[in-house]
Amino acid sequence: MDAFLTSRIVSDILGGLTNGVIYALVALSLVLIWRSTRILNFAQGAMAMLAAYVGFAVLAPSTNYWVSMAVAIVAGVALGALTERTVVRLLYGKPEINPVVAMVGFLLVLESVAAAIWSTTSRSLPTPFSIIDWQLAGRPVAMSPFALYEVVTAVVVMVVVALVFQYTSVGLQLRAAALNPEVSRLLGVRVTRMLTLGWMLASGVGAVTAVLVASNYFTGLTPTTMDGVFAFGFIAAAVGGLDSPVGALVAGVLLGVVFQFVGDFINSNAIILVALGLLIVSLMVRPSGLFTRRTERRV
Amino acid sequence: MATRISAIAVALVAAVAAVAFGVPTARLRIVLALIAALGVVAVALLTSARVRAEHPVVTRTLVTVIVVAVALIGTARFSTNVDTDLSLGAAMTIVLLGLSFLTGSSGQISLGNGAFMGVGAFTVAIWANHHHASPLILVLVLAVVAGAAVGFLFGLPATRLRGPYLAGMTLAFAVAFGAILNVFGSWTGGDSGLQLPSAENAPHWLVHLYPASTASLSVNSVWLAGLTVVAAGIALFFMSNLFASRFGRSMRLVRDNDVAAELVGISLPRARVAAFVISAAYAALGGGLWTIVNNAVTPSTYGFALSITILSLVVIGGIGTIPGAIIGGLIYAYSNSAIGWITAHTGLSPQGNVASQLNGIIFGTLLVLTIVFAPLGISGALRRLWSRRTW
Repeated sequence: MDAFLTSRIVSDILGGLTNGVIYALVALSLVLIWRSTRILNFAQGAMAMLAAYVGFAVLAPSTNYWVSMAVAIVAGVALGALTERTVVRLLYGKPEINPVVAMVGFLLVLESVAAAIWSTTSRSLPTPFSIIDWQLAGRPVAMSPFALYEVVTAVVVMVVVALVFQYTSVGLQLRAAALNPEVSRLLGVRVTRMLTLGWMLASGVGAVTAVLVASNYFTGLTPTTMDGVFAFGFIAAAVGGLDSPVGALVAGVLLGVVFQFVGDFINSNAIILVALGLLIVSLMVRPSGLFTRRTERRV
Repeated sequence: MATRISAIAVALVAAVAAVAFGVPTARLRIVLALIAALGVVAVALLTSARVRAEHPVVTRTLVTVIVVAVALIGTARFSTNVDTDLSLGAAMTIVLLGLSFLTGSSGQISLGNGAFMGVGAFTVAIWANHHHASPLILVLVLAVVAGAAVGFLFGLPATRLRGPYLAGMTLAFAVAFGAILNVFGSWTGGDSGLQLPSAENAPHWLVHLYPASTASLSVNSVWLAGLTVVAAGIALFFMSNLFASRFGRSMRLVRDNDVAAELVGISLPRARVAAFVISAAYAALGGGLWTIVNNAVTPSTYGFALSITILSLVVIGGIGTIPGAIIGGLIYAYSNSAIGWITAHTGLSPQGNVASQLNGIIFGTLLVLTIVFAPLGISGALRRLWSRRTW
């Protein structure tokens, strides 16, 4: 059993799972915003990055990790509300490339402002748990206390989001506003407020993601930390289907594992080629994603 | 009509006389007089509404020639720095024309045109390192072909996709481009990139024409600027015809209503892929020219930031319009000088964080403001002012 748990295959699956939950979280935030406002939030990663900076660079370095994390989440939620109220609100009902362009511009502003304030030098974040892998019979298992914390946190976030949507009145209103804004408004749902709430929720999830990503010893926190993660998260969301939260989560975790195997058995540079290949093929075979039903379009 | 013709004749004679008597050498005097005469004829033709309406190709040819001629005359007068900026900007104009066509005619958007530029840039560098002394035109054609091929690959999903999906896919390509170059590190030189084996030098006839290569203006920079301006002119002429062609018009229907376009017999997949291929080929041409101008290529130039810059320029200039691409190219050429001026006059430390990020902050803010409040950019605003004129 010990030999099995430390084998190459299991190590890859565990390592892939740790990365995969991150992609899944990014994909989840994208899906939340896409479902409610039909906007693909290209500034998602940058907003999350800024929230992480607020939590971990504005406060003194000695601040308790959990306090910083909480501040980052609050900052993320506030930034989400602010973005929706100021920028995004002006884009509803415009041609579909306008929000794309605007969010890319917003991404540029956020990354430049963060670099102007905190410079492009990477800063390492404190970790609440050890990043050294557990040992079994003298060999490392590809799982450290910190990696386990990442996975658990991600799962908790996902479950909380699912519970909110499935079992609360607010969740029901969020779903109604996304499904049919006109009818929901007639039935007394405050649709504009729901849209803001959707953005707040998504950027809160984003803030958690950015803190987890930046805690990685090798990357640390830089203004562009989230660029690569965002690209993988988008690929996960697109493969799973931008309309399907479940699809985003499943695709994120699966892609994480697949990439780990590719990196281990081929080489780490090949990961991105495989990712692009998977994206192109999956979009051609099922343009709307693996987990969404087909929709017909009319003139 | 008679008054117009006589006015043209008078202006023509006056222009020839004015130019011919102001220049010392006899041969240059004749050449300049001819250019001036042609210029006067061209302007006269363009001011006629009938010519503009009935001979669009003539009009487009004349406009292109005038723009290129003005830029060429400028390159011989400016300094080396201004000329180098102009050549980078002219190459950027080509890239912007490509993206403008993609968006303006088919309604798609690409966040990966910086990477497509990189494809062209590295094609030129790799080829030049393996085949010394290839003709310039061959190298550039290869860059265009390589760009078109990669564009085709990424255009394939475009047959079934819409808007944001494509944008995301091209974004993934742009972010991944550096890693992809590393996969082929033995060819692309890895992180340090490639140097061209020999710099592109001015040909003899140009050296003869401008023997006085001064400290502030070298013949080579005149040659490189002229080269990119002419390339941009050719790209401009081709694109303006394409916009107006049957193909261009069917593309606009695809943009405005794809279901209707399909019903009148336009093949959506073909139209979308074609737009993507053309846009990528234009980007690759611009990238190839950059390699020639810079005499080297580095992977960091073609990162995600460049793709965002390209998008900003095309939107601020005016997306989907040809003047917009030219405006964007000029902004690109001289934005660094402008930002340097701002830094110097606001007392910011030039090496400080803020100064180094000013570019991104300004372009990002302008991008958001433009798309929200003036989606047609500078050229759209100018056009609206022109149509409101009272004279």
